[in-house]
Amino acid sequence: MSESESEELGQPEIDPSVRQVCANGICMHTTIVEAKLDEGNIQEAESALREGLSLNFEEARALLGRLEYQRGNVEGALRVFDGIDLQAAIQRMQPLAEKPPSKKGRSRSDSVHAVSQHAASLVLEAVYLKAKSLQKLGRLNEAAQECKSVLDAVEKIFYDGIPDVLVDNKLQETVSHAVELLPELWKQAGCNSEAMSAYRRALLSQWNLDNDCCARIQKAFAVFLLYSGVEVGPPSLAVQIDGSYVPRNNLEESILLFMILMRKYYLGKIKWDPSIVEHLNFALSLCGQTSVLAKQLEEVMPGVIHRIDRWKTLALCHSGAGQNKIALNLLRKSLHRHEDPDDILSLLLASKICSEDTFLAAEGVEYAQRAIANSSGLNEHLKGVGLRVLGLCLGNQAKVSSSDFERFRLQSEALRSLDSAVALEKENTDLILELGVQYAEHRNLNAALRYAKQYIDATGGSVLKGWRLLALVLSAQQRYSEAVVVIDAALDETAKWDQGPLLRMKAKLQISQSLHTDAIETYRYLLALVQAQRKSYGPLKVVLQAEDDKVSEYEVWHGLANLYSSLSHWKDAEICLGKARVLIEFSAETLHTEGLMHEKRGEFREALSAYTNALLLEPSYVPCKILVGALLCKMGPKMLPVARTLLSDALRIEPTNRLAWYHLGLVHRDDGRIADAVDCFQAASMLEESDPVESFSSIL
Amino acid sequence: MSDDDLDTIAPHSTFDDDTTTTATTTATAEDTKPTKPHITWCDSYTKAQATIESLSSILPNIPQSLISSETPATSLLDDPEIAREFSRLLRQPNSGLGDNNLCRWLYDTFQTNQPALQLVVLRFLPILAGVYLSRASLHKPLAGFEAVLLALYAHETTSRNGQAITVSIPDISHSSIYHETTKQISKNVSTELNIAVICPSLEPHGTVRSTRRARIVGVALELYYSKISQMPVDSKIEFCEFCKIWAGENGDVYSAMEVLEEGNREKEKEGSKEGRINLPWEILQPILRILGHCLMGPEKNNKELSKAACDACRSLYARCLHDLNPKAILATGSLLKLAKMASELNDEDDHTEIAQTNVISL
Repeated sequence: MSESESEELGQPEIDPSVRQVCANGICMHTTIVEAKLDEGNIQEAESALREGLSLNFEEARALLGRLEYQRGNVEGALRVFDGIDLQAAIQRMQPLAEKPPSKKGRSRSDSVHAVSQHAASLVLEAVYLKAKSLQKLGRLNEAAQECKSVLDAVEKIFYDGIPDVLVDNKLQETVSHAVELLPELWKQAGCNSEAMSAYRRALLSQWNLDNDCCARIQKAFAVFLLYSGVEVGPPSLAVQIDGSYVPRNNLEESILLFMILMRKYYLGKIKWDPSIVEHLNFALSLCGQTSVLAKQLEEVMPGVIHRIDRWKTLALCHSGAGQNKIALNLLRKSLHRHEDPDDILSLLLASKICSEDTFLAAEGVEYAQRAIANSSGLNEHLKGVGLRVLGLCLGNQAKVSSSDFERFRLQSEALRSLDSAVALEKENTDLILELGVQYAEHRNLNAALRYAKQYIDATGGSVLKGWRLLALVLSAQQRYSEAVVVIDAALDETAKWDQGPLLRMKAKLQISQSLHTDAIETYRYLLALVQAQRKSYGPLKVVLQAEDDKVSEYEVWHGLANLYSSLSHWKDAEICLGKARVLIEFSAETLHTEGLMHEKRGEFREALSAYTNALLLEPSYVPCKILVGALLCKMGPKMLPVARTLLSDALRIEPTNRLAWYHLGLVHRDDGRIADAVDCFQAASMLEESDPVESFSSIL
Repeated sequence: MSDDDLDTIAPHSTFDDDTTTTATTTATAEDTKPTKPHITWCDSYTKAQATIESLSSILPNIPQSLISSETPATSLLDDPEIAREFSRLLRQPNSGLGDNNLCRWLYDTFQTNQPALQLVVLRFLPILAGVYLSRASLHKPLAGFEAVLLALYAHETTSRNGQAITVSIPDISHSSIYHETTKQISKNVSTELNIAVICPSLEPHGTVRSTRRARIVGVALELYYSKISQMPVDSKIEFCEFCKIWAGENGDVYSAMEVLEEGNREKEKEGSKEGRINLPWEILQPILRILGHCLMGPEKNNKELSKAACDACRSLYARCLHDLNPKAILATGSLLKLAKMASELNDEDDHTEIAQTNVISL
């Protein structure tokens, strides 16, 4: 072939603007041949070619077919190709591969290959063009059969795979085309499983495809796997190499292919294709594996994705995977005043993340305010979201504020902001719940109750949090029996595995009603549930609605210990505490209960040491601060200032703690500050009416 | 809140007891099918005929083409008139009642255990689930809808044997069947694959408990997705339309992602947020898979479908921004970008075309 090519190049009369056919070093214009074809006289056209270019019958036909195809006359091309017995020609070529190329006498074997490959190339191109012609005529099934026969023939001729070096360019081109075309044809014909195996055949056999072609097929296949909705089983055992990863289903296979494509890009084998990363993004977010996606994005070379876009997407990925700290750091970068400080999505997300942490709440307030300021134009519909996160941040900021005045101001602002958010998004149920919680924390229980009911109505009772908030608000109003009714109704609407938090609350409600035996029963049932849950699920446990608020076995033992100790059943309480200690060795809660038991038995020294240990473990553990303060208060006037400090500190952390107010009142009284004592007792008595059995913030 | 209130919140299905048992027979019927193809064909033909005849209690006149069809189940699936009528009936205000004829027909048809007839029921899942979810919080009895949904859920539970669907995310630093290098990697490298739970294990449900509603509908939608390549385009379009209603947000502002920063705001329609529902992940995930299929699947060139899917996707994107749900923002955002890229690359080069030259040489 190379010889004839060089001769052709030597021909001076080649004029590329006129269509012509060349073979055996001769070129001729196609006008006469085309005219004969137009008259429908294939035979004459064929003999004209044979004479003009000294060709054999098959060669002439192949050339004619190609000419017709190029002229866009696919029907004519088909007629021409039908005249060749392609199958017989393929048959003739099969012994080709049976002569293994010997190392000696290479030139001879080369020439044999060259000649046979030339013939093969001619025939296979003809079959391929026939398939293309059929495709253009919409006869897709036939087209696919023809195309498939090209590949079958190639496999027969080169049963060891196509050699890298020896192959004729044109032959390779035809093979690559056919490999790429076949799955497309099956897809267009609606034969999904055939398409699937054609793709696998294309990618798993040795076709010597170039990088671009292979990448195109991989991408098309991955897209097909991801979106077609056709599940056709994993690749067969035959292609599996020992020790290598074999995808088990469509989604895995498509993710694998997209990842390979990403890597091909890093290795410089293919050009950047932005759609690949989006497909991967979609697939991995569907699986909830955004941390894997983050890793993929980190590997992308700098300069391909704009850094701000990358930070933003990475922040979403990390936040989706629960790594909010990393997400926030990325958002801080992208919100820097030299980057994209006004991007509303980043602002909102950053604010949302901050709203979950009391110590970040102030930062979150700033982001939320910037988001609201930027919610104009296209983003106006996000104003409500900005107000909502602002409210949440303010509510949390209030919890750590140092002065009463400041706290009150922040809480009212939080409520105002949530109220205006709700005015913009009446149908946003999450917002209703958040308002309910915020009002409850503000101890406006009537409003909280209203929102809790509204939330249950709007969600059709489908979210556990709503039921729990309603019960908590009722418990804060000391309507315990109604609260139990709500919990029972919620239990009715809940599948077994989700019932933990409800049962825990029920037990606490029963304790509040002094129904100790019932509470013990409830705890027993809860314990059985928690233990069964732990045993029955390995890594693939049921995703519970209450996943973020799962009852731990420790909590149950601790709750039971508290219950027994309040009934002065010391032995039972000790056993429960022992069980709790096995699960968590050092815990402020356990020490708290231990101290209470000592105190009740009059062992003040032991009690004090237990409380102190608890505070050493958890310096901000409020209940023990209060108890130490109370104990010190009883130890005489010298200790009163210490007690006062401890109790004030407790109140700084938990301003609505009734016990802290009460004991602080006692301290003031003993110290002779009657007016202060009255204020404290008043606060304590007001709060007594509004103490829920669990903290309101546990809902969100 | 009184007990009465609670009862109305939690409507119980009336004929739920038999769902689990019939679902078990489904599996056995399918198991025996391949061994006796001939008998099954006759059987399925008569069953499909009987199903069509039983339609007479619901529709005043059944199209003649349907009665005389040789492939009754397929004709039923594709019949536009039936689709129109069913769609109208399902949207009527009292359509979800326990004694609703159409719901009972759908339930019975699904329980025939004929795969072809089950497709007919699935074809109407978008409308059924759409109407159901939007009405679920309105204190209306919906036992008819629930019976059908529970039948689908039970079917899926049995066919999966209650098992979870998981995906192990590949780690391409280890060789795989598609790696080009044949270099052997030492076998004792313990591959720590990330296992993603696509759908957690299923427990049987005899009634729709309200906290499990999203889960049950989600599983039914997964079943729909698994048959989606056999669904008529109209059914998918209906699905996309309901997505918009569920999202409850107007996504028009994102109709051109690139002008996001610019100020030319389109007029926003207010007050059309009726039907907005909570979108927990268990329901959002199958929704996104179905939408992905509508946007990027084999029918992506169908103008009407791709427009509906794009609209739905935009609404959901807006909704996910409102919920600040990072995973969903990523998924819907990607779909939007992909749809945009696809529309820009309308006439892509055909790489399977041969080079056009004036000099044709052997």
